[in-house]
Amino acid sequence: MRLYRKEGNTIQILCLPNESVEKGDYIQVGDPKQDKALLIQVIDVQFANIPGILEELLRDSTNNGDIVNGENLDPLDVASQITLIQDARLIICKIRGTIQNGKLSVSSAWLPSRSQSTVKKLSTTALAALLKINEKLPIYVGETKGSSPLRVDATAFDGKLNIITGKKETGKSHFSKLLVLSLIDYGAPVAVLDLNGEYAHLDHTSDGKKNQHYTKIHVLTPSSNFKVMLSQIKLRVMLNILIHALNLPGTSAREFRRIWRFLNEHAKLSLHELGEAIRNWQCNHHVKDALFSRYYALVNSGFLTDNPSEAITLEDYFRKIRTGGALVINLRDTSFADRQIVVEYLLGKLVEMLTSWKLRAVFLVAEEAHLYLRETYWNDIVTRMRHFGVFTTFVTNQPDTIRENIYRQADNIFLFNFTNAHDLETVSRAAKVDSETVKSIARDLPPRHCLLLGGVVKDFPIVVKVRALDVQTMGQTRLFFNQNTSF
Amino acid sequence: MKNSKLFQPYTTTQPASTATQTLEETTHLLTESSQAKLKSIPLKPIRDETPIIAVDVSSMKIGETDIGILCAIRAAVVWKQKHQYRYLRLGPFPFHITEENKNEVYHLFRQYSFLEQPTLDYTSTLSLIYAPTRLGALLERWLQMSIAAQTRKSLILWDGSLTAGTQDAPVAVISHLLETARNRSNIVLAFTKITRLRLLGYRLTDYIGKCTPPCLLEINGYPMNLSKAIQFLGNIYVAKLSEGNCSFRLDIDFRLPQERAVEAAQRLIGNEVLLQSYPETLRLAHIYSTFTANEVIGIQRFLAQTHQLRIVTRPNMRRLLFGPFGKGPES
Repeated sequence: MRLYRKEGNTIQILCLPNESVEKGDYIQVGDPKQDKALLIQVIDVQFANIPGILEELLRDSTNNGDIVNGENLDPLDVASQITLIQDARLIICKIRGTIQNGKLSVSSAWLPSRSQSTVKKLSTTALAALLKINEKLPIYVGETKGSSPLRVDATAFDGKLNIITGKKETGKSHFSKLLVLSLIDYGAPVAVLDLNGEYAHLDHTSDGKKNQHYTKIHVLTPSSNFKVMLSQIKLRVMLNILIHALNLPGTSAREFRRIWRFLNEHAKLSLHELGEAIRNWQCNHHVKDALFSRYYALVNSGFLTDNPSEAITLEDYFRKIRTGGALVINLRDTSFADRQIVVEYLLGKLVEMLTSWKLRAVFLVAEEAHLYLRETYWNDIVTRMRHFGVFTTFVTNQPDTIRENIYRQADNIFLFNFTNAHDLETVSRAAKVDSETVKSIARDLPPRHCLLLGGVVKDFPIVVKVRALDVQTMGQTRLFFNQNTSF
Repeated sequence: MKNSKLFQPYTTTQPASTATQTLEETTHLLTESSQAKLKSIPLKPIRDETPIIAVDVSSMKIGETDIGILCAIRAAVVWKQKHQYRYLRLGPFPFHITEENKNEVYHLFRQYSFLEQPTLDYTSTLSLIYAPTRLGALLERWLQMSIAAQTRKSLILWDGSLTAGTQDAPVAVISHLLETARNRSNIVLAFTKITRLRLLGYRLTDYIGKCTPPCLLEINGYPMNLSKAIQFLGNIYVAKLSEGNCSFRLDIDFRLPQERAVEAAQRLIGNEVLLQSYPETLRLAHIYSTFTANEVIGIQRFLAQTHQLRIVTRPNMRRLLFGPFGKGPES
């Protein structure tokens, strides 16, 4: 490999086809005179623009049909060298940093010699050692292209905002589960907003046996084993539910607040009493109608109950997972409005527990959050709630549902394959890496391969093949033509 | 300039492959004569599946060493039979020619080129600069002879003319080649792409402009200001064998009766694909023998690897002295 040219932070390397280089690989351009090396990453592999190549290809194309054929008498086998030149590659790389005295820095304000520099691949293992990304609490995420294991530090997720994105069936949820289980192993409490019921059986191996996480995974299904009493809900949370989830107008909300305070003062805060209070309340009949419709929506959600034996205390569950465990909120069979009610309650409760230091911090995994999280919550989660100790991981296959400002604040991005240019454009706005890298590498990522960006890899993007998990993932799509199972 | 209305500007860039320099580069003038005449011969295609064979050789200077030059030669033979083209490509053959070994290399080539011992010691005057061209010409003659001797009742297409009397085309050799072809009922048709032959000051091919293709324009009886050594061993025609703007100088063995020469041209148009009057077989032979820039790099790499040669880039003096005004090839 030879250093060919540099433009901005892009370096072009010329190499022959027998030198195997792929997108995502790291290359070290060492200058012996300056005693340092430039660390660059391959973002694209192209054919070198060899003079005369068009003529050669046109000439050879005449051999392809039945019209012209023949043979070459080349006793010296010169053609093998010509073929080698034909297949010469131009490696497009981005400068990532400088290695000097065995230390890596992000400095790139120098240029190695074109004639004297040595160009060689740097294994991901060596890079990881230089980056020191797996020193404290290593999480084994998978293997790099050289089949060497890659471990990242669990502390890189602490207090951080993460985004896991990629198109369908590329392995996002799988990676998310790996992350959840790894965090649990290090004693972290994790709350999962599980849209498709995929996380419910993480405590079982793929063949149905209990695994080491059996006592650490707690699944709560709204209106089934997840019901709360009205008295457990703060007025602020209830108003959020009514206003944001059930679209209660402001005037009616004010009336509701009076009713709520009245019931609270008389220690009658129950679903039944609330219905009676609305019925007997002296107010405009339009307001009364509005309050009744929301009341019945709450009743029909099945999430609220007056039976103390049916109700659970969320604090108890968070206490169970305080030293490592996951609370999975199974939203699979929950309607859109009910999902919003549950999520409003959960987030309100989380903030309440965190502000009162009943909980130190929680890692929140939100799958396809746009389907249940109201608009105003996005910024709230990534700014205000982060300071309380809610460290969110968004998982989505629709990157444009996450706002640009969220991408800009993301500390870590786990990017799976995208082919759609619009999706790539959206993701490439993330501030953690240049857009060319995202667009070029993500487009060609095979399934289950992930581009790690951000603090977790110290801003040195690394491609990894995510390791398999021996758990019941339940994420597979139900198929019509695979009818081995009966209804 | 007062009689000239047209001019074709030369391109300043050299093609990637420098084909063998032939006699067509030399300008010959046909002078006016009362007996001279231009005769147009219309052609009717004869479709009888006559085999058509073409040969072309390319030579290329690849580089320099401290004691000589590196060059490469490649030949291509293309033949059309039963509506199918086949080719045999020979090479590339790289050579390192030095002052010490040039005689040895040259004599080796002559030995296999059906050439008699030269009456003059050409090697003493053989310049290294022209060595690739010379070796290419010898390989071409060897191939032409092989084809002439091994085929029957075929049309053999050469790139160039039947003008003889130079180091690359001695009269005896070209005569022997034509005789061998004649004896085996083959006919040699030599196509010159760009002729320098001029009649009354005008390029020869300009005279056929108004004739309806396919046709030949016979150039007969014009005296020529040739040196004593130079001989035309073919009758000269201007050929416009298909629609289009192009016409070519076509030389056909002068020992053949004119009827047979015309018949050969008719067989060619009846059995060959002609694009802009140029035979496809000959076009393919040229394409398959030509070196592209990439191939030159490949050969340089081959030589560097197999013989541990270090490639040195000598400064381009023109560029060095004149900067952007230093155009033209590096000598």
